Amino acid sequence: MDELELLKKHWKQQDTEYPHVSANDIYKMILKRSSSIVKWIFIISLLEFALWTGLSFFLKDTKNAQHFDKMDSDYLLIPLTVIGYVILAYFFYLFYKNFRRISVTDSAKILMENILRTRRTVKNYVIFNLVFMVVSAMVVLYIEFDQDTALIQKTQAAAANGEVFMFYAKTILIVAGVLAVFVGILLFFYWLIYGLLLRKLNRNYRELKKLEMES
Amino acid sequence: MDKELEHSFVALLEEHQNIVHKVCRLYTNHREAHNDLFQEITIQLWKAYPKFRGDAKFSTWMYRVGLNTAITLYRKSKRTVNTYELETFQFKIKAEEYDDTEEQQLKLLYQAVHQLNDIEKALVFLYLEEKDYREISETLGISEVNARVKMNRIKNKLKTILNP
Repeated sequence: MDELELLKKHWKQQDTEYPHVSANDIYKMILKRSSSIVKWIFIISLLEFALWTGLSFFLKDTKNAQHFDKMDSDYLLIPLTVIGYVILAYFFYLFYKNFRRISVTDSAKILMENILRTRRTVKNYVIFNLVFMVVSAMVVLYIEFDQDTALIQKTQAAAANGEVFMFYAKTILIVAGVLAVFVGILLFFYWLIYGLLLRKLNRNYRELKKLEMES
Repeated sequence: MDKELEHSFVALLEEHQNIVHKVCRLYTNHREAHNDLFQEITIQLWKAYPKFRGDAKFSTWMYRVGLNTAITLYRKSKRTVNTYELETFQFKIKAEEYDDTEEQQLKLLYQAVHQLNDIEKALVFLYLEEKDYREISETLGISEVNARVKMNRIKNKLKTILNP
């Protein structure tokens, strides 16, 4: 006999073997909280949006930023800030729209795709922020070199010694190094969180995709 | 109104709960994980219930939610695996109905099915529930042809696992 046929025979007979869950127990169960990955993705995504928004507020209040405010930099900083908020709103809208689309009654493949799409929105937002951070750092660096009197004096001193190239290179390398460490730590956390959370989903999604490719 | 919804849901689930048990049986291998997954599927069913229109059969609708929860939404419980219970719980086969060889064979079969991946288990589950390929393909979101091809491959895979 075919192996699965034997299993099927037993499968139908085993209905009485399961412990019966009473109506009372079901009432209790539906009061409990879900621990599905969708819930975790939602919470983590909100935290990501909050983190990036919070970070920009926090940076505005630092001494450096206040020192920076004294300089003539509004022509660059105001558009950058406005663009930042518009893009935050855009991503948040996309995220919310995609999140609402996740439905457990869809087919397995569509459900997985919708979850992955929601994730991708947040991922793009984070990538945007990283790029934004690098661009902002460059703008700030440019303004500093252009307008910060202390820095200009240092540059001139370096120029007098014939080391102006070295001086620029050092400053830029330090800023780039700090940024790289920051980005590295962030990427590590992402790898940790989503690696654990989405490993199963990704594996199963690949399996379904593979089915499609093979025939 | 909410109370009414709750009552009708609980009554329906109590009646059809074996579907959930069967999903849990394929996707977990100890009692605590079984109960954990059972609970998560119940929560997901309840959350989706207000949108259940009744144009599909409740049981058909349950297959989807149950499998989606097991394949995609559920995060494995962190509790330790107790292999003892695997023996007593999974293979509670009534001795008088089966002879020894058949019992042994079934035991090996269940072990083989547990070695399949999540998607393969879903196909086996729907096959054991005697769903046709149309329903299998709609539940998983793959074409009917692919479902057939995959099912044949799974049968061969099980043969290889059982007769190495």
